[in-house]
Amino acid sequence: MTILPGTIDLHMHTSVSDGTDSPEDILLRVREAGIGLFSVTDHDAIEGCRRILAVRKAGDPAFITGVEFSCRDAEGQYHILGYDYDPDAAPINGVVQQGHAFRMQKIKERIDFLKERFGFVFSQEDIDRLLRLQNPGKPHLGNLMVQYGYAATKDEAIKAYINRMRSEDAYVRPEDAIRGILESGGIPVLAHPAYGRGDELIMGDALKARVKRLMGFGLRGVEAFYSGFTEKLRNEMLSIAETYDLYVTAGSDYHGRNKLVALGDTGMNGITEIPKGLIQFLQRIEEH
Amino acid sequence: MTVKIPLYGRIDSNNAAELERSIFSQLEGKHAASVILDAEQLRYISSAGLRVLLRVKKTHPDLTITGVSSDVYEILDMTGFTEMMNVEKAYRVVSIEGCEEIGRGANGTIYRIDKDNVVKVYKNADALADIQHEREVAKLALILGIPTAISYDVVKVGNSYGSVFELLNARSFSKILKSDPAKFDWCVSEFVQMLKRIHRTLVPKGKLPDMKEKALDWAMFLKGHLPEQAWNKLYALIDAVPTDDHMIHGDYHTKNLELQNDEVLIIDMDTLSVGHPIFELGSIYNSFVGFSEVDHEVILRFQGFDFETGKRFWRHSLAAYLGTNNELKLREVEDKARIIGYVRLIRRAIRRNGLENEMDRREIEHWTAELLTLLDTVDSLLFSGNEIEVEAIDENLPKVQAFIARHLAENGCPMKARMQIEVAAEEIFVNIAHYAYTPLSGSATVRVEFFENPMSVSITFMDHGIPYDPLAHREPDVALSAAEREIGGLGIFMTKKIMDDVAYEYRNGQNILTLKKNL
Repeated sequence: MTILPGTIDLHMHTSVSDGTDSPEDILLRVREAGIGLFSVTDHDAIEGCRRILAVRKAGDPAFITGVEFSCRDAEGQYHILGYDYDPDAAPINGVVQQGHAFRMQKIKERIDFLKERFGFVFSQEDIDRLLRLQNPGKPHLGNLMVQYGYAATKDEAIKAYINRMRSEDAYVRPEDAIRGILESGGIPVLAHPAYGRGDELIMGDALKARVKRLMGFGLRGVEAFYSGFTEKLRNEMLSIAETYDLYVTAGSDYHGRNKLVALGDTGMNGITEIPKGLIQFLQRIEEH
Repeated sequence: MTVKIPLYGRIDSNNAAELERSIFSQLEGKHAASVILDAEQLRYISSAGLRVLLRVKKTHPDLTITGVSSDVYEILDMTGFTEMMNVEKAYRVVSIEGCEEIGRGANGTIYRIDKDNVVKVYKNADALADIQHEREVAKLALILGIPTAISYDVVKVGNSYGSVFELLNARSFSKILKSDPAKFDWCVSEFVQMLKRIHRTLVPKGKLPDMKEKALDWAMFLKGHLPEQAWNKLYALIDAVPTDDHMIHGDYHTKNLELQNDEVLIIDMDTLSVGHPIFELGSIYNSFVGFSEVDHEVILRFQGFDFETGKRFWRHSLAAYLGTNNELKLREVEDKARIIGYVRLIRRAIRRNGLENEMDRREIEHWTAELLTLLDTVDSLLFSGNEIEVEAIDENLPKVQAFIARHLAENGCPMKARMQIEVAAEEIFVNIAHYAYTPLSGSATVRVEFFENPMSVSITFMDHGIPYDPLAHREPDVALSAAEREIGGLGIFMTKKIMDDVAYEYRNGQNILTLKKNL
């Protein structure tokens, strides 16, 4: 497999999680964008990958399975990517089910909280529709509140009401996610390492400590090429990969219309040398 | 096209996507626009927000973020965003209420904000470019050896901007003159020393504006105000001044000269230019005399001392600057300076208030009448200073001799003394040319000054060569025959014989040899 750097995008979301393109649509877009290798990484869901595998044709861009688990433990929050696993393997499906169960439990708790604390009620029909979503979360609930006129904007709904709920949230632990990926033949990779789970900023020694700890659980790579990284951040991630001999991956975090990130935008254009960690990653998936 | 978009409060994963959509809807169809994100109201940005910034940068490369708080700046700096886009920090807000005004220039007023710091508040509300300009020229001046203060911070003062300088325990010369009249002579001497230092400084081409261009602009403004013939002469006089690459300050007066500990600093550098010193003298004349010719209170308000003191300061400074007390010579140069000065004053008054105000009208009439009288008699704006700087080589000896001879003649020096001085000057200059920089080359400066009580002249030679005191040389034994005498030493011996005093000192990296002759 010959893949040109700049045509790799291993991080994108479909409507199975919070993207706006269906898996079938995203395949079309990936083709149009001239991407040579891609993966679909929905939050806590692998349904999109199954659907891509089902509709792929000969001559389509190379594809590997993917997922992005939201993890948390006493040390912090992480997004952990899993690549090239067997989608029928029990361990990864176990993690997906656990994540889904936690999410469903949380959304139900939130609905109860809004009712008890503020008296916001929704029709059973709307609640059922919400719960039927693959991964309903705060934004979906927020949108519903706006529809009912409980809040003016989704932002206000989340900040002023939904976030008032303080609970011991149940989350997938990073070691469980990593083990599930490994035991299904996949490669666990830390997503956008400097940005933690999305809002954080983790750099320098704190980031090294985090990577080392996750390596103790079996982490194999870091997403050093990421659409939201500056050159400085990218170089720090590459240096960490080099230091700890980790795989390097590249992802845009494309969400369709929800965020204006372009497919294939990973910050890899213009690099003069393909990092060793990326070459090794490509070799690893080719062997597989 | 520039699109300015304000950012508010917190940007995190809760609202980042929404903000992104809002920004891009405002930028729709404006692909080539410059984008300014105004972060004055932004308190916090998470990495989700950083991604939005990067996204904007990718589609609109000409991106500037302004008004960034120090907390947000730290995040942008740490993550490398400051390297990829223009990030301008928020300006600290400084109040000048109750602060002492310590200086005032063409473009702004300087206040002391605490014991160690002053702020120059610019008149122009959109002064950031001016501030940047002044910083650059002040840096240039410092590099070229002019002691000045360079601003270290830009702040917001009311609706305008200010630049902050460190000025420890400094006192302006105006203040010293007001509170300590006994220091008058010392002030004149330091004032002139600094002025000469500035005027000696050669500026690399293109680094500073040319004052002659400005003076021609002022003259253009007066076209129509003056009778045609007078105006033609005025323009021709200015036009005949040769271009000059030496520095001039442009707004040189005692409020802009500060004594900090034992060091004299020149501040308010925004008018720094190059040009013939006559343009500088014109502006100095205005500061001490011209401005206050009709209303004597003006100088009291501006400098803190009275009109008589101002006039005396101007006259003494001019005498020290020209190195002569010859009243005719002083009057001659003063008249040339007044022409430049009046042109500037008339233009300024007309531009400010026109001819409506009674006081302004009287002033304009007075200055115009004076200018017309001067234009009748003055035929050139050029004058020669009492200093000449040449490369220290034998070939320049005639130039130096001619320079000294002219000054001696102008000041009525008796023939015998003139010849003796010329002999001595030749000895000293040749000595410098041969030994000071060997094997390299360098410059020598020669200054001629006249004094009264007793009537005397002094010729000072300055070079930056190896320190050498010719007076320390053993005096030759003239009783010995020519063959037996040591080579050298004879020239300096002769010099000492025919001069009334010869003194040497090594100061500021310079050999300074002064010959004195009573007349």
